Amino acid sequence: MEKEDKQASRREFLRNIAYGAGGFLLTSAVGIAWNIEKDDRKVKVVVVDFTKCTGCRTCETVCSGYHHKQTFGTTTIPGLVNPYKGNILVHHFTPDIDVTLVCSHCKDAPCIAACPVTPDLITGHKALYRDAETGCPTNDTDRCLGCRECARACRNIRTGTIRPNAETHKPEGICDQCNGNLQCVKYCPFKALEYKEVDYERAYAGMSPEEIGKRLIRQFYS
Amino acid sequence: MNMESNSHPGYYGKLLEVNLSTGEIKKSNLSKQILKDYLGGRGLGTKLLFDRLPNPGVDAFSPENVLLFMPGPFSGLPLPSSSRTCVVTKSPRTSPLKSPYPKASTISYSNIGGFFGPELRFAGYDGLAITGKAAKPVYLYICDDIVEIRDASQYWGMGTEELETRLTQDLGSASFRSCYIGPAAEKLVPLSSVLNTAARAAGRGGTGAVMGSKMLKAVCVHGTGIPNIADPILFNELLEKTRNSFAQDTPSRQWWRAEGTTGALEASSKSGTQAVKNYSEGTFSEIQKIGTGASRKEIWKRDFGCYCCNLACKKSGIAKGAYGNIVHDGPEYETGSMLGANLLIGDLAGLTKCIGIADDLGLDIISAGNIIGFLMEAYDKKLIDKAFLDGIDLTWGNVDSTIALLRKMGANEGVGKVANQGVKKLAEVIGKDSSHFAIHVKGHELAGWNVHKELQELGISYATANRGACHMNGGFATSQNNSTITDSLGICNFVGEWYVNDISFVNIMSAITGTSWSEGELQKAGERIYNIEKMFNYREGFRREDDNLPERFFTDAYTAGPAKGIKVDRTKFEQMLDVYYDSRGWDKISSRPKPEKLMELNLGYLTHIS
Repeated sequence: MEKEDKQASRREFLRNIAYGAGGFLLTSAVGIAWNIEKDDRKVKVVVVDFTKCTGCRTCETVCSGYHHKQTFGTTTIPGLVNPYKGNILVHHFTPDIDVTLVCSHCKDAPCIAACPVTPDLITGHKALYRDAETGCPTNDTDRCLGCRECARACRNIRTGTIRPNAETHKPEGICDQCNGNLQCVKYCPFKALEYKEVDYERAYAGMSPEEIGKRLIRQFYS
Repeated sequence: MNMESNSHPGYYGKLLEVNLSTGEIKKSNLSKQILKDYLGGRGLGTKLLFDRLPNPGVDAFSPENVLLFMPGPFSGLPLPSSSRTCVVTKSPRTSPLKSPYPKASTISYSNIGGFFGPELRFAGYDGLAITGKAAKPVYLYICDDIVEIRDASQYWGMGTEELETRLTQDLGSASFRSCYIGPAAEKLVPLSSVLNTAARAAGRGGTGAVMGSKMLKAVCVHGTGIPNIADPILFNELLEKTRNSFAQDTPSRQWWRAEGTTGALEASSKSGTQAVKNYSEGTFSEIQKIGTGASRKEIWKRDFGCYCCNLACKKSGIAKGAYGNIVHDGPEYETGSMLGANLLIGDLAGLTKCIGIADDLGLDIISAGNIIGFLMEAYDKKLIDKAFLDGIDLTWGNVDSTIALLRKMGANEGVGKVANQGVKKLAEVIGKDSSHFAIHVKGHELAGWNVHKELQELGISYATANRGACHMNGGFATSQNNSTITDSLGICNFVGEWYVNDISFVNIMSAITGTSWSEGELQKAGERIYNIEKMFNYREGFRREDDNLPERFFTDAYTAGPAKGIKVDRTKFEQMLDVYYDSRGWDKISSRPKPEKLMELNLGYLTHIS
């Protein structure tokens, strides 16, 4: 019995190594930030086609405008806001590469993991939590402490899309998918953005702009 | 955020002024009147320069000269193709035939795309004016209200390619947008440019050289604001209308997206309007080797564009071959014409190498190609020898020799030093009637469009442009006023026509500023700007005689192509000039704007200039 258990656990151990190693190799090759596990879940996100994106930043302007609407009497229109205040950002590199990024919907959500606020007994939500419908990390500003741990986690190991607000320090820049009415997708002049269901394990998922930039430079200019 | 009280809707009413001699930094006020009269960009830049240079004959390289970076009222707003900034200064390139002032030169203005102008407006400024000269290399750091003159010794000598990456790294954020010079401008090579993203340039007119003369390596800006506008609801309607209109896939837009200006290479050569073999021909037999087809096949990998532009006319890629791997953008019409067709270079990889070197050094590729073409002809005709060229065997179509000469020019060494003075001075140095084929107007080299077939459109454009030969000027007063307006609003010239036809600038100006603009008023502003530029030049000593064309166009006919046998008729040209001056309300003998015209444009205070 003991020998069988030992053999079983040894097999398990080797299998985990293989998974880890294979996962590591596959991760680097395809370009995913987290370790692969067998997981068929899909996620609906904004996906960027880097062969079509020209770095024009129209997406930045419509995103920031949509999320800072202005109302005059009964008329509500998009705001006129600095484009860095949106939830999508274009990172330009030389040689000419544009890495357009939104929240990657990391499967393991290190941002939420980093949130120190005690989960609500009923909802299970910390201050930062996954929206049940969209899966978007969403912040309860009433409970948020402004500790910036979510932004730190995002910046250190993932895309860096979470920005602490300059005054409140609470997280901003997280794509909320515009209630299903994706502005960036609608207005991109080059149809480089798509809102679609994809695997969690997809190219560039959770990667920093610098990492993606390096890969794109290799892809385009070699 | 937008309906607050704002005395300058559409603008901040603020000019950032930096004196590099004293280190003084101030934010001056711009009056509502000056903004209404001169719009922004090129117009406002010229007006500010003229006011700050009360005496003619200022040496362009003196600390007294002012270097201005001027976005327009559209800059920073998400209007399609609102990416442009106009760099304005007194020219280190041009000179009149006669003047009491040894350092007489014209106004110089040059447009640059990318993302710099919008960012300057995000930071809270309608423009940046730099005077003086720093004691050692510096760069300007602008982050909203924070403005600092910082040590740039670690960047001095750096090419633009490396500098772009280093600046982004050192500033710790890719959201800083920078304009900078290459090593050529540091050595005061007169044809030096100002660059942005290592791929865009305020190429013409030596603005980079002026920046180098101030020991200023770069201007780096980041901003977190956005200008207030008067009527957000109306603006939003117009913005939507503009976006929808520009989204229509017209053949013209398709062409821009697919080919950029590169497509014009084969078209121009085919129609006999290209600068070929130092302008002695208008058609290049090997143009298809460096045109769109060849580029797409051998080099291009992606399209990229400027702020909010849906044309993405720039194409970047990698050229492989005898010159190693060259990662760069282009060729575009001008770079392909001037370093390609004009030099009879049909080697695409070699051409890309030359373009990359010129951009990295920070040289005006149009002028460089023109100068090299002139020297190729002089060498071919044995008016100069190898010794003059420091041993460079500068034969037609010779890529290696072109590279060698570009490097000499970038280093301002040997033959490069005399070449950098431009074809006008080169012809004086070489003599032997070489001025016959020195292709310049007022000392500024012509660009990739040849004149013979298009005397009105191109000949008048080149001859009468206020910055010296300019292919973007226009052949009629109205088209010149229109391009002036576009240059003053911050909009890219390539889409100006669509704005005018589909949306109208005045509708947008009215929504932004809250004052009702009419077409007539806007046209008048364009005309006013053009006239104040002209008065600046007139004050320096420029006259009708300077509105001339190179001798070659009147005597040397092409031997090939659809324009074969055509020569420009001198009488016809002078007649066109007469008609042009009449249409402008300028004196036909001197070219001086008549007092009535100046009064009409509220420029009465300039009538004393004689």
